[in-house]
Amino acid sequence: MTNHGQLSRRSLLAAAGFAGLSALTGCGSGDDGGDSKDLSKKQDGAMKNYRAGEQFKATKALSISLLHNNNPVYPTKKDWLFWQELTKRTGVTLKPVDVPLSDYEKKRSLLIGSGDAPFLIPKTYHPSEVAFVSSGAILPVSEYVHLMPNFRDKVKKWNLEPELDSIRQSDGKYYLLPGLHEKPKSGYSMAFRTDVLEKIGASLPTTWDEVYDTLKTLKDEYPDRYPLTDRWSTNTVYPAAALVSYLGQAHGIHAGWTYENVTFDRKARKFVYTGTTDQFRQVVEYLRKLVAEKLLDPESFTQTDDDAVKKLLGEKSFAISANPQELVQNYRFNLEKQVKGAKIEMIPVPVGPAGPVVLDGIRLENGVMVSSKALKSDNFVAMMQFLDWLWYSDEGQAFCKWGVEGVTYTKSGDSYALKSGISLMGSDPKAPKDLQKDFGFFNGVFTYGGSWELVSSSFSPDEKKFQDAMAERKQLPIAPPHPLESAEQEQVTLWETPLKDHMNQNMLKFVLGKRPMSQWEAYVAEAKAKNSDRLADLHTKAYERYRKDNG
Amino acid sequence: MVNARVPANRASVKRAAVSRASVNRPTRGYRVFQGVNGIVLTLVVAVTLYPFLNIIARSFSGERQIRAGEVTLWPKDFNLTTYRIVFGDGTFWRSYGNTVLYTVVSTVVAMTLTTVYAYVLSKKDLRGRGALIGIAVFTMFFSGGLIPNYVLITSLGLKNSIWAIALPNAISVFNLLVMKAFFENMPGELEEAAQIDGLSTYGILWRIVLPLSKAVIATMLLFYTVSFWNSWFSAFLYMDRTELMPATVYLRNLIAGATTGGNAGAGTDQLSQAAANIQSVTIVLTALPILAVYPFVQRYFVSGVMLGAVKG
Repeated sequence: MTNHGQLSRRSLLAAAGFAGLSALTGCGSGDDGGDSKDLSKKQDGAMKNYRAGEQFKATKALSISLLHNNNPVYPTKKDWLFWQELTKRTGVTLKPVDVPLSDYEKKRSLLIGSGDAPFLIPKTYHPSEVAFVSSGAILPVSEYVHLMPNFRDKVKKWNLEPELDSIRQSDGKYYLLPGLHEKPKSGYSMAFRTDVLEKIGASLPTTWDEVYDTLKTLKDEYPDRYPLTDRWSTNTVYPAAALVSYLGQAHGIHAGWTYENVTFDRKARKFVYTGTTDQFRQVVEYLRKLVAEKLLDPESFTQTDDDAVKKLLGEKSFAISANPQELVQNYRFNLEKQVKGAKIEMIPVPVGPAGPVVLDGIRLENGVMVSSKALKSDNFVAMMQFLDWLWYSDEGQAFCKWGVEGVTYTKSGDSYALKSGISLMGSDPKAPKDLQKDFGFFNGVFTYGGSWELVSSSFSPDEKKFQDAMAERKQLPIAPPHPLESAEQEQVTLWETPLKDHMNQNMLKFVLGKRPMSQWEAYVAEAKAKNSDRLADLHTKAYERYRKDNG
Repeated sequence: MVNARVPANRASVKRAAVSRASVNRPTRGYRVFQGVNGIVLTLVVAVTLYPFLNIIARSFSGERQIRAGEVTLWPKDFNLTTYRIVFGDGTFWRSYGNTVLYTVVSTVVAMTLTTVYAYVLSKKDLRGRGALIGIAVFTMFFSGGLIPNYVLITSLGLKNSIWAIALPNAISVFNLLVMKAFFENMPGELEEAAQIDGLSTYGILWRIVLPLSKAVIATMLLFYTVSFWNSWFSAFLYMDRTELMPATVYLRNLIAGATTGGNAGAGTDQLSQAAANIQSVTIVLTALPILAVYPFVQRYFVSGVMLGAVKG
């Protein structure tokens, strides 16, 4: 789980470190000068006419270093079929630098900062690449995507240009090759105890008004309990981060753990501060109503995940935020053990004033950074072609996810099936082998994104139902590019945290009824005193500048 | 300093009490003092021990009881699943082996270097002694920082070798100063006598000084062993391959995996059990060997720490 779209304290720290370091060593990004564009001498091992849909095979054996996130669930093994088959198909041997998942970001910063980074640096979430841009240690990959036919093909086919624009820096380039999704994949929504709803004659809600009615019906039946108690309030600065996020989505704004300080106002063609928009106020008022009528447990905003789940399992509540995995592996699994006849289902995100929409920008996933050192290598072109094949071609993606046809899986039509004796995430507890642990496929370092057919091929029935319903919805329009210059970025960093804290604290006060709604205007004025307007103006200025410079 | 004074006082009080007791019975005030003392210390012991016992109990308890917060001092629904998962993993044993190897080698290197350095510094007539102390103490206050250190170790070619762990941490300045103070307190006459009897400088160190320094050596040994045993950061920094990682890094990663859950191979009884008490199992497993060693060196430890601290 990540907090999308916000610079974490750690990455800011890394950024500061880098600024200091580059000042000390006087290193700049310009040392390659004019010949960085001339790739004619860097063709070693590259294919002459590499095209989309074509199998990449290096014309001579190559080895490429890679930062590898060692996931304890499937610890790296040297004898994984993945490594062997990859070399067989592409002629490339990957040389992984194993980094424990627990401290991946730390080591990544260290390696990049010390100039010792491997060529390929995957598992990087935007905007953490921003911290490395000014040091020049990371390649502006947008300059080299002409070497990547599959990547360009998918961007064009799935119309992902606006998304890519959103990760461009003030120089107009982007430094991260993100994972690309054909359709937005949703994560979180509410889950209800359907057996209880059935008993009291209520049905699953589809809109937020119906959610209110359903909770009310539950409350009438069980007046001593809170029908909804929620989680995802710890390990994040946002209270009830998931609930507020998908409630915000129904109002067309980024709230909760997808919170963004500025929202683009399409009518006025300018950015506004999210925390004081009308939509945000509606979110707050809705939650306030739920708390006031004792439909939503006020502890939802502070308790740990464990405590929330405990209440659900102890039948002290009947609804909770969920994702498909938690639904199956935690709630349903444990409920069936503890409560006889318990059933729980996850609903598609209830529809609100913004209509059936999903958030913008979620078709990009974490992705790969390329070390600037790679450009000096004779194999550079071959490496980019390899990267393109492995992460962006249909064959490469299917290979990373499911493995080798006939060995690890069989395919009939659009559906993939694992060979018998192979299990995936507990799909067959008796199977002697595991697709991740023993073969090295379905590895988070290589497997994400892709066509809807491929992405949905691994959904459980519950997830498929949920995702299919969500995939029907329209994506909110993406904000136009508005990259900040580094001095502006520093200014924004100083403003953002106090504003975010102010928003969070007051949201809680309003929702819990500790501050009357009549004080909303006062709250808006406080935010202004904390530079909310200046922050929005700065983004508007950046947007106008970018539009002028880049058409 | 405070620590040094308290036991001294207590000892003198005790001595006074003993001598008085031989003349007449202890005063009522003193008995009250003893009673209060006993109660307070028992409470302190209880407060210190409780979290530890709780951790042990949790590591053996069932998932539901842990989640419900029912486990206090005694395991409930006795359960070894998490231990079995951790033990059944070949990587765990390899990293445990690494930990033992790294700890033993690093401690031997550290003890040798620290002892020799401290002994040299304890010689007051040594020329350049101030500078030697200055160099050591300087590193206590200033360090090159993470990235320069990493660049240094890498360019020395120490990456992915045990020396990346053993050498940079070989001399802890704090330990060095304690040891130096200890050596300084040794009567100079002993060494003079040995010199007259014809022992060389190294002979004096090896045959006279070290045998008389068991207390401080045991203490330093314990300090170094514990710190190397528990350390994970240098291994994390300088090791690129999973099979080189010590148990601390392995367990740290395991905790991260169990708590982020995510696409874990969960949905099975085993993993939800593991997620519930992986942390306590980890703590027990890493602390156990040190705990087992402690009673044997504790005797030296108490006297050793004090010995360097007070002059006179």
